[in-house]
Amino acid sequence: MGKRRKMTKATRTGAYAAAQYLNSSVEKEVGVQIPFDVYLQDPLTAETHPMFGFDEDFHVVWEPGLTDGPTSARFAVVDYNGDTGRIAPKAVWDEGKEQFLDPEGKELDKDNVESLQFHQVNVWAILQRALAFFEDGNGLGRRIPFGFEGNRLIVVPHAGYGKNAFYDRKSKSLQFYYFDEGDKRVYTCLSTDIINHEFGHAVLDGVRPYFFRSSLVETGAFHEFMGDITAILITLRNNVFRHKLVEKTDGTLSEAKILSGIAEEFGTAVSENPYLRTAQNKYKMPKDPNSFGPHRLSEVLTGAMFDILLAFSEHYIKRALDKDKNKSKSRKEVAKTAFYNAINQMHRIAIQPLDLLPPVDVTFKDYANAVLRSQALGNPTDPYKHYDLILKAFRNREIFNDADVLEHEAPKYLYDRISLDVFHDIDNISRSRAGAYRFLDDNRNKLLIPFQQDIIIADLYDANKLTREARRLPRQIILEYIWSEEIILEGPQFGEYQGERTTMLCGGTLVFDDKGSVLSWFRKPGSEHDTHGGNQKEWIKEVAAGKVRRVEFLEILAERIKSGHIGSALGSSRGMLGTLIPPLTVQKDDGILKFELSPHLSLKEDHKHSKLRKRWEVSS
Amino acid sequence: MGSKLLVRAYNVGCGDCIYVRIPDGDDDFHILIDCGSKEGAKSGVMKRAIKHLETEMLPAGEDAGKKRLDLIVVTHRHEDHIKGFNAKFFEHIEIKNIWITAAMDKTHVQAKRSLKLHAFASSQMQALAESGAALSPELNDLVGLYGIGNKGATEALTETLPEKNGIEVKYVFAGKTSDDYELSIDNTMITVLAPEKDIDGFYLGKAADEELRGLQESSEAFKSKSVAVEDEKPTNISSSDFQRLQSRLLSNGLAFAVDDSKIQNNVSTVLLIEWAGRRLLFVGDAEWDDEYEEGSKNGSWNVMWHTRKEHLSEPIDFLKVGHHGSHNATPWHRDAGPDHEVNQIFDAILPLPIGNKKPTAQCLVSTKRKQYDTIPDAELLTELGKRVSNNKNYLEDFEADDDDFDPDQDIFNYSVLKTYSKPPSPRQVGEKEWLDKNQPIRTDMESAGKGDGNMTQTVEFVDVELDPK
Repeated sequence: MGKRRKMTKATRTGAYAAAQYLNSSVEKEVGVQIPFDVYLQDPLTAETHPMFGFDEDFHVVWEPGLTDGPTSARFAVVDYNGDTGRIAPKAVWDEGKEQFLDPEGKELDKDNVESLQFHQVNVWAILQRALAFFEDGNGLGRRIPFGFEGNRLIVVPHAGYGKNAFYDRKSKSLQFYYFDEGDKRVYTCLSTDIINHEFGHAVLDGVRPYFFRSSLVETGAFHEFMGDITAILITLRNNVFRHKLVEKTDGTLSEAKILSGIAEEFGTAVSENPYLRTAQNKYKMPKDPNSFGPHRLSEVLTGAMFDILLAFSEHYIKRALDKDKNKSKSRKEVAKTAFYNAINQMHRIAIQPLDLLPPVDVTFKDYANAVLRSQALGNPTDPYKHYDLILKAFRNREIFNDADVLEHEAPKYLYDRISLDVFHDIDNISRSRAGAYRFLDDNRNKLLIPFQQDIIIADLYDANKLTREARRLPRQIILEYIWSEEIILEGPQFGEYQGERTTMLCGGTLVFDDKGSVLSWFRKPGSEHDTHGGNQKEWIKEVAAGKVRRVEFLEILAERIKSGHIGSALGSSRGMLGTLIPPLTVQKDDGILKFELSPHLSLKEDHKHSKLRKRWEVSS
Repeated sequence: MGSKLLVRAYNVGCGDCIYVRIPDGDDDFHILIDCGSKEGAKSGVMKRAIKHLETEMLPAGEDAGKKRLDLIVVTHRHEDHIKGFNAKFFEHIEIKNIWITAAMDKTHVQAKRSLKLHAFASSQMQALAESGAALSPELNDLVGLYGIGNKGATEALTETLPEKNGIEVKYVFAGKTSDDYELSIDNTMITVLAPEKDIDGFYLGKAADEELRGLQESSEAFKSKSVAVEDEKPTNISSSDFQRLQSRLLSNGLAFAVDDSKIQNNVSTVLLIEWAGRRLLFVGDAEWDDEYEEGSKNGSWNVMWHTRKEHLSEPIDFLKVGHHGSHNATPWHRDAGPDHEVNQIFDAILPLPIGNKKPTAQCLVSTKRKQYDTIPDAELLTELGKRVSNNKNYLEDFEADDDDFDPDQDIFNYSVLKTYSKPPSPRQVGEKEWLDKNQPIRTDMESAGKGDGNMTQTVEFVDVELDPK
């Protein structure tokens, strides 16, 4: 590439505004994307394997508001240290040099990695890329919100000493801590995997904020899965890493070889959460998922998605070899491209279904159903039977049972009209929440929403997703709605919460195309009959399913209360007591108990779910 | 100079002030184990208790106008065990011996790291208290543990009182006996079962020590590259966002204070007094944990079972219930089976009577129901009630005293400070659900105030007497 001509800010702003019409290499050429030095994995890997030191092709999209911090539209780095009560100087943005500088005016590149400001830039840049990964057309194809009030995530690269990193909705922050291992100081803000994992939580919270209100272990596990799959997929997108991996495994990308290859190359790296290694497991869905810790449970789903990745890799290798009539190419030669294609495919397979998920209480089966539906929408003719490949992976992990498989294999049309009482034009539905509400309200009977319940429009947005070869899918309009079913906690099994009121959230996600056809409809039913009567057959079935949900909800809640998993976060205006944060916190809001997932602290596996009672009792 | 051994628990609220009188030939041997309380100094409970001890229980000393106290034992440094050691309260008492847990010995090499952790926790909690920062209610007690009062008491115990009495403090550890400390009491052997001499090794564990070192070293490194936030607040987020962020960071100060608090309980002096065939166990606030683990932060009961099992393998005749009846200081793991290590200890020292036999052991609970449901643990007390002879059905007892007794109105509510928007649940009230079940004798229920929110202004105590076997 020749030397790029320097642009004025005004020109660059114009190019930025036109970026939707530019591809990545053009963006780089005109300076809308700026190169940064960031660690490919982390400093330890960079030291022991210089080839995997820095990401040589790392770019971040420039923004007109980019400034010191770094601070951009969606992230604000605040380098405050809770242990010392002190704040480190910000990295300073130099528009002319197109770089961040340290307090002494030196550029923050790979020759200046010891400075705290390099850490600030490193974590910010990784996050910018991760956000782009989700907003890209191969991901969700839209700007995504965060789960808190506001749009800028506060990033704290040196929050204090500890083996911790977490997303905290209440403070709108991603907090990264550091710890000593042997004679080395390990900064979680320099670990690409950890940054991506924690950001995965933040993204899911933005896409489905009501998941935080779930008391299901499976929903907590889905959150962990989200973190892991984010870390895995982003890492595997790196060309150098991918090529090395293929070389190392001789192109035979079977499970064992991939991961032993990785283990050898990367050692234990930063943390005890080797994301790629969590994918190597043979765990199947347990009969009672709620008796497991969320991390351990999440590995079932991570493993399933990894199975799919490997299956696609093999599939693409086989296709390439079959196409090679002269047998001139080796397995290893075709594997690089095959793996590249498989990773790109996985970007769509894993991320696009998130928009189809129900708004509350997600289970692994919900996600598997959404994956398959998304697959059908993106690849309706499916000449190579990708649908079956994915279905098989979920069956093997027992996320689906035989009955589920039969249902998926049964012949069906891609679109089926859903029965409605009142027609609403899609433009009216998609224009505003009020418009969407009128659509739902006019069609309560057919949409199985009880008359007596007030409906909340949880979200309404549209997305422009891509399918293979960067072709556009029809615009999707996503409407999420919920209602609250009030429940009194009756019985001694609810301990100190006996007699209190809580709610079971119900609702659904309707996805339309721009012509108003329903692409997908996933629901979480309630247990109440409609007081205005209704279509008896569908209502009976729906209410029955809702009753099953309600029973399960209460059983799980009682179990979690008994196990001491619920309590309050203890803290002060100077910080929280992390060691004693229970998995679920509870607060009373207008007389109603609301249970919420706590930040999942620590880089270790699930805390020992000790049966010791009242584990947040403070000894005094 | 009777033939019975007396154990007296003064009612000091949530705290311990335990007097033991051992018959010793023509004379008796007088011991005071701890004197502390969570009650404020203004309540006067500790002062009254010591005064009563002085005037009613102790024999004349060598000097005119003075009384003799043979031994003070300090189990550990928490305020509810030492706050009453005000030199002024002991002005007229000659103290012959002071035993203090080795964990409080500043020169003890094998407690170096835990002392460092304690110093760090103290400084952090004192800074937090001084800052006036808002605290979750559960943490008020934690911060209070590091209050100024403790410093005065520690000074009295380690400097003022020894100096005035011409004695040296003995920092005791497991394995030592009354013989080792040249205390000769008729028919009696006092054995120290805890803490082990290697305080750091058994109760601190490697991980906590490394974490503290890492924290302190890294903080120094950061200080040189940063400025105080009072001098330079962040400008890319709002001040309210920053305040919220500060409250949601993980506090190492609080984390280490919690660790330290637990360690202090676990380095409690535990005494086994063997007198005339009887075995009496005084455990301070020694806690138990799931299981013993080498190099880890261990519970004291687990350590004792691991290292001094021979002393705990047989039933005892008396237990001073640990930690004011909290669930974590009597080795009963209600969610585990009899084979669990902790339940093995419980069944060894206080076995459930078989068939129609009645229990013969006794115990005392020095406690006061406070704001939380954890102290005392009512379920634990009812389990103890099955294993000791000095138990009571307090509902029957109160109803016999007062025809109009109404447990809804007359029994101590959870917290006299709280107001409830609706009637509190049984768990919140705490005692209502358990009042009709047998419990061991406890100081708050024996009080004339029946465990009122406020302490009575008269001296109260509960006695247990043991005959020689």
